[in-house]
Amino acid sequence: MSESPLPWAVIGAGPHGLTALKNLLERGIDAHGFERDSDLGGNWNYHAENSRVYESTHLISTKPFTQFPDFPMPDHYPDYPSHWQVHEYFQSYAGHFGLYDHLSLNTEVVRCTPVGVDAADGWDVTVCDRTTNTESTSRFGGVVVANGHNWWPKTPQYPGQDTFTGEIRHSAQYKGAEVLRGKRVLVVGAGNTGCDIAVESAQNSQSTVHSTRRGYYYNPKYAFGRPSDQTADLLLAMKLPLALRRIMFKTTLRLTVGDFTRFGLPKPDHDFFETHPIINQQLVYYVGHGDIVPRPDIDHFEDSTVVFTDGTEAEINLVIFATGYLAHFPFLDDDWLNPTGDHPVLARQIFTPRFDNLVVSGLIQPDSGQWTIAHWQGSLIAAYVELMRLDPARAQEFYRDVIEQTHVRFTGGADYKESTRHYYEIAHQEYLVALEGDLAVLERVSA
Amino acid sequence: MRKPRTVMRQWDWSVPSSGVYREVLSDVPVGWADEPRNMRTPPLLFIHGIAHGAWCFEENWLPAAAAKGFASYAVSLRGHGGSGGSRTLSRTLLRNYVHDVMQTITELPQPPVLVGHSMGALVAQLVADRYSPRGLVLLTPAPLTGSTPNLWHIAKQRPASAGAAVVGRTLPMTADQLFPGLDPATAQRYVSRLGRESPLVQYQLLGRRRIGPVRGPVMVAGTRSDSLVRVQDVERTAAAYGVKPTWLTRADGSAMGHDVMLDAGWDIALDQVLDFVTSKVAP
Repeated sequence: MSESPLPWAVIGAGPHGLTALKNLLERGIDAHGFERDSDLGGNWNYHAENSRVYESTHLISTKPFTQFPDFPMPDHYPDYPSHWQVHEYFQSYAGHFGLYDHLSLNTEVVRCTPVGVDAADGWDVTVCDRTTNTESTSRFGGVVVANGHNWWPKTPQYPGQDTFTGEIRHSAQYKGAEVLRGKRVLVVGAGNTGCDIAVESAQNSQSTVHSTRRGYYYNPKYAFGRPSDQTADLLLAMKLPLALRRIMFKTTLRLTVGDFTRFGLPKPDHDFFETHPIINQQLVYYVGHGDIVPRPDIDHFEDSTVVFTDGTEAEINLVIFATGYLAHFPFLDDDWLNPTGDHPVLARQIFTPRFDNLVVSGLIQPDSGQWTIAHWQGSLIAAYVELMRLDPARAQEFYRDVIEQTHVRFTGGADYKESTRHYYEIAHQEYLVALEGDLAVLERVSA
Repeated sequence: MRKPRTVMRQWDWSVPSSGVYREVLSDVPVGWADEPRNMRTPPLLFIHGIAHGAWCFEENWLPAAAAKGFASYAVSLRGHGGSGGSRTLSRTLLRNYVHDVMQTITELPQPPVLVGHSMGALVAQLVADRYSPRGLVLLTPAPLTGSTPNLWHIAKQRPASAGAAVVGRTLPMTADQLFPGLDPATAQRYVSRLGRESPLVQYQLLGRRRIGPVRGPVMVAGTRSDSLVRVQDVERTAAAYGVKPTWLTRADGSAMGHDVMLDAGWDIALDQVLDFVTSKVAP
């Protein structure tokens, strides 16, 4: 390292960009963040071009695990805050820690170029100022990529889709229920967004069909007299084995909602904890009231009709594909993040074997709240960068060790269903134990 | 005493602390309200000890520190002073106090220096285990190694007091322990303001605690005639942070009582705290 080490660049000012920036600065590492929108918040900045939250979005996990551990959400926030509250929360985090002074808004990163062999001399980061439309390039010691993975829509193609006479839009273009009014709506996909939109459609549209490829467990937001994610974590804290937790949750669903298939919902083809949890108390309610008609996968489109794989048909004039998003890094080369199949595979979901000074934060889909993990990813990255400066040899040793574990996934013992939605799925408790161990190594505290 | 950084906080996640009304008293210098982020001096957040409340700092230190240019805040932990939670005090734990302090911190415009007194110093250290304050000032701190020897020490002098604490009543404290340098009328006024303490917290204080790495400068101060937190307790806490203890004395050189923010000589003690903040805490 040279006398005055180069600052680090942080791409994106969503929760992961903010925690990376805050933790780097806290350890005395000069860092600068770039955000293409006029405000921070990323996905949670409702008015931003690439924000995918809609009018009614609320958290599906509760405060204790979703908040930054060193900056809890205010007591007056509800269990499941709205996206407006989340955005305000991020703003007060940035204000408290003085992050605005280290953040360029309206500034889009268009290109990262490694300097020297394996970026040994750092990175040239080219940004575009979106107010003046001018480009500029500056050099950084390393780059934290935190541009999110829930903004680049993934849209399926079915036979006859191009000649379908109704409207087709991706949930990325869904901001509120007004587009549903008076329509015969088909919602495709049973992620949390798909279920939310199906429920909103049941409340607002003329009719609603919900197409899903498989059956899922629709978890309630409250169970055992408390928010269900807190119950789940309580069982984890009590170190109950996976099999027992499965039995308890299945029994609860059985005792409350009963057998999903009674409603015409498909029977889940997988076990509990094998798919990303769907937290939606209202979906089954509306199915039970006949306001949502469940259907299997789409077979093909015919003019204004959609034909499903079970042979049933529905007249539809608005299709919403809530079929998810793909990670997308337009400012990096495709082969830099260890692509395997069609998605990057990173050690600890953070480190790429290709460069030791290009790290990713936020490429995770936890089975619980996210921003506690955002904090610890930022903390780990900052501890790593700090060690790179204090003791480069030990930092290298850490990097090599962790890269050797690139194949390790943190599933909590479950076997995730093969699907793009599970590329970045992690079991939060197992993942955080790993980060805790890494931090102990980096900060050289004997455990 | 050091432990690795605590990432796994499953009890916080699964059984989160409830929120109660918090009394936060403050005195801020001119200009702070308009441009709090541009002030060079960091805000100070005072945390009181057993059975006290934010009032003990309001009495002298808040106005005096504000007059010297420091934005000063004091929070009453739940069940204390003007804060809510007195009805649930009997089942309150230290982590509830940590929650109260964390909530107070997030309302401050920039990270504060934490100034904890006695049990409040222990709370400040637990807070610093999860949040990096600009600095940490520990005044007559309840020892991380556990207060069992202190209780024994009290029992030898005042068996009835120690006995009360053992059976779950609030540890009785007298004017000559807390502020022997004050005139009887003032001392009596302060003693009458003392409230109750959570019995569970008093029991928790007896046990040993470990905390993770702490960033930023640390000041540990005590008094040589404190009958609640002994000289060796202060020395041990200071050693844990690799600093030398500061011994607080009055103008005539005599040692202060336990309540260094109320006892005669409080102005000198405050000056030493502010000197530390000015010289050690990066602007």
